[in-house]
Amino acid sequence: MERETGVWRLVFLALPLGVFTVLVIWPLASSFYYSFTNWNGFSDNFEFVGFLNFKKLWTDKLFFNAAVNTAIWMVAAVLIPTLLGLGLALLIDSRIPGGSVFKSIFYFPICLSAVVVGQIWIWIYQPDWGLLNVAIGAVTNTSPDFAWLAKPDTALGSVIAAWCWQHTGLAMVIYLAGLTSIPEDLLEVCEIEGASTWQRLRVVIIPLLTPATVVVVALNVINSLKGFEILYIMTGGGPFNSSDTLAMHMYNESFKKYLMGYGSAISVVLFIVALTIIGIYFRELKKVDEIYG
Amino acid sequence: MAEAHPAAPVGREFNPWPVVIFIVLVCLAVLFLAPTAGVLLSSVKTTREIALGDLWSFPTRLYLGNFVEVLNKPAVHQYLINTLLVTVPATAASIGLGVLAGYVFAKLPFRGSEALFLVIVAGMFFPPQVILIPLYRLFNAVGLIDTLYPVILIHIAMGMPICTLLMRNFFATVPNALREAAILEGASEWQVLTRVALPLSLPALAVLATLQFTWIWNDFLWPLIFTQSDDKRTIMLGIVNLKGQYLVAWGIQGALSLVASLPTLIVFLFFQRYFIKGMTMGAVKG
Amino acid sequence: MFSRSTMLMAAIVAPAIAAATPSFAQDGGEVSIMHYFTGALGLEVLQEIFNEFQEKSGVAIKESPIGHEDFKSGILVRAAGHNLPDVFSYWAGARTQFVIDHDSLRPIDDMWAANGLDNVIAKSVADGATVYNGKHYLVPFNYHYAGMFYNTKVMADAGITEMPKTWDEFLAMCETLNSKGVTPIALGSKNRWPAQFWFDYLVLRTAGTEYRAKLMDGSASYNDPEVQKAMGLWKELVDKGYFVANANADDWTDAGDKVARGDAAMTLMGTWITGYWNGIDLKPEADYNFFEFPQITEGLPNAVVGPVDGFVISANAANPEGAEKFLNFVVSDTDIQTKWASSRGALSANTGIDPSIYTPVMQKAAKAVADADAFVFNYDLSTPPPVAEVGLSMFSRFMDDPSKVDAILDQAAEDAKKAFTE
Repeated sequence: MERETGVWRLVFLALPLGVFTVLVIWPLASSFYYSFTNWNGFSDNFEFVGFLNFKKLWTDKLFFNAAVNTAIWMVAAVLIPTLLGLGLALLIDSRIPGGSVFKSIFYFPICLSAVVVGQIWIWIYQPDWGLLNVAIGAVTNTSPDFAWLAKPDTALGSVIAAWCWQHTGLAMVIYLAGLTSIPEDLLEVCEIEGASTWQRLRVVIIPLLTPATVVVVALNVINSLKGFEILYIMTGGGPFNSSDTLAMHMYNESFKKYLMGYGSAISVVLFIVALTIIGIYFRELKKVDEIYG
Repeated sequence: MAEAHPAAPVGREFNPWPVVIFIVLVCLAVLFLAPTAGVLLSSVKTTREIALGDLWSFPTRLYLGNFVEVLNKPAVHQYLINTLLVTVPATAASIGLGVLAGYVFAKLPFRGSEALFLVIVAGMFFPPQVILIPLYRLFNAVGLIDTLYPVILIHIAMGMPICTLLMRNFFATVPNALREAAILEGASEWQVLTRVALPLSLPALAVLATLQFTWIWNDFLWPLIFTQSDDKRTIMLGIVNLKGQYLVAWGIQGALSLVASLPTLIVFLFFQRYFIKGMTMGAVKG
Repeated sequence: MFSRSTMLMAAIVAPAIAAATPSFAQDGGEVSIMHYFTGALGLEVLQEIFNEFQEKSGVAIKESPIGHEDFKSGILVRAAGHNLPDVFSYWAGARTQFVIDHDSLRPIDDMWAANGLDNVIAKSVADGATVYNGKHYLVPFNYHYAGMFYNTKVMADAGITEMPKTWDEFLAMCETLNSKGVTPIALGSKNRWPAQFWFDYLVLRTAGTEYRAKLMDGSASYNDPEVQKAMGLWKELVDKGYFVANANADDWTDAGDKVARGDAAMTLMGTWITGYWNGIDLKPEADYNFFEFPQITEGLPNAVVGPVDGFVISANAANPEGAEKFLNFVVSDTDIQTKWASSRGALSANTGIDPSIYTPVMQKAAKAVADADAFVFNYDLSTPPPVAEVGLSMFSRFMDDPSKVDAILDQAAEDAKKAFTE
């Protein structure tokens, strides 16, 4: 019996692990290898420089700037769409006419590519005739010309807003699916017991949505790491590196300055950070498993 | 969610909440639609209008030339076909691998399986640029550059971590008793997976199918690097390449973007019924 | 307008796809070409050129177009993968030098001599753009010139008939425009590079070409008095309100739109802006024109700034003969050069080109280059790529807050020094 299980494990895991090893692990390992060299990408004549690239990280102001931005980005890009998505799901779930129309409207942005989303939002933030300034002007009866994407203080936040617009629908859809699985009679009991809406939400609905939350958070974390494209299109990390993230910094060093070795060192750090985050997530996941397993 | 239940049992007093919520939702929907309107508006204007007038004004006349141009291009047809050829197999295979691995991690754990799972899941956390050059060398060595195969294979590998994670979590909620009962009746693990676990996992499969399809469809980094000829390129590259060194055709880009986003919307509309039905089924067993 | 171009597109693309199959390959073999001339217009005309080359030479072309920005990483990935295309487009100057220094390009001296390209290519362009480490490596497909492009009507409305030749005249003109309520200068420095032309010209006009060359190769520093002086003049313009607000928010096309709409009077930009403006139905001379960047310090050589787009052959090209045929064809054939340059607001380096193919404004630009004492590459093509990153960031930082100019220059000096040693 146990031996048979072992065989099945092998059969089931062979293909996934094979593909993963060849196409992800091996390339990653060779990237680790380059992080100890001064390779520039073009020439095959490169030298081993030991930990020089990693030492350089300590003196690289742009690296620290990018690390802080990455942290801000991750937290915002995970939290905001999750909370907004939950809110939308609760509103739509309350048996509103046209629910499926609303759902499609809120979901649609996910169907668009980063190229398009980036361009639309550039138009929205345009200082002179962009939708945002025009709207603010109409409400306040002024004519603001604030350059949202061009000011170091607002560039990252503005991209995050665009990001949240695109990804809120995803959280909403998954929460909606989760909501349908909450037994109707449970909610009726709440009503009979005279629980307020807030109590119902806090004590019954949100705890029962935990499996959906696990999925939503995982998806948002993965997605937010893919945020490279939209940042690349909307600000390119600018103005003057104020919206750089680690992925952007790695790209600039490797492909714009031709410092492949140093770029690889940045990605090694990024990978270690990722492993840590996953470790934490994984631990939380196990707690959930214990409740539902 | 479309079903409109009768609002409240007869005889109770008027409940104002549905009306308030409806109005709030309408406002939010308008806010949400504004950026989308930007694409729509750009697609029915000429580049000159976008450059000289402003984009956000209501068009005085409907200019459909952008759509005509986009839909008549044989190159665009080829792009769409190529994108399908990449997206469909890559979506299916990445989910397939995720199902296999996820099942082992959820139901057949072994010493070190948690660490292995951690490594696989960590695989979704690095910027893809990190592995660009090693992969290019690999596919160049086996002569697959300028075909669609590298793009498909990479999307399978890159999609596997999320599929594994989701499927593992979903399988974990399938009661062990079901598996043990089936095994006692003489079923193999394969049969348990396909006859017991998978039918219970429709929601996860539907969510994954929708997401993977959307992500792979919208990606442009991998096809950019691994395909070279125009007749091998995907629709996102078509959109990106509309931007010339010193020229931009906004209108055409807007029109092509809308055309390109339709398949992902259709996939969502098709699968969403399943993920709600499925979630409910999962809950029944709960 | 679009139905015609649609048909044209269909007519071009269909045979192009057929041509991509190896069956077209005749005795000349196949040459793979990667280039960054994307966008509907660039691709269309290039298809015609490729088709003509295939017919005439019997060499088949395998084409791979990639948008400008993605091209930079794409070519690096292919170089690292030892799979560079036989031929690729590249920017003459420091970028080409970088690739040559890493043994990735093939010299073309024999082909150059055999086809007498010395007599074909204008010397002003040939000297700087084609020769590296004493050998020929690149043929110029087209080049551009950066000048002050303005809205004709706006200038006329402000009563400006004479374009400025000196800095004082320029300042006076800006003042006039400002007093009429028109912002004199548009700049779209969102992607940083459009600001570089200001730096280039201010340094060239106050410190000269020799000093600039030193700055570009690292033997001068960014906080030298020379640079401080140039930046001081730039700051004066910004402080007086001559630049549009929020330059960092705009793309160069947005700046072009502002001039086209008459919100601003002029923008310092390359000749490709004429292609953009023609594309939105503006007419040369009637709607727009240009003047040369004014003289500042007397006695300095009159240098002009611009980029050269070229084709190069990779060191391990599979079909070097075919590749050389292609390079010679695209630069020597006057019909091809005419077709290419006139289609996209570019200048041809081929001396056999009849200037009348250009629009009147482009004729003037060609003459400006011909009359200049020197033709130098713009900033990001003149200094090594890691250093260019430092400078480009410095420009956008400066445009965001010019009052910090001294601190910005000190920082740039320090960063550039580091970048030169990397």
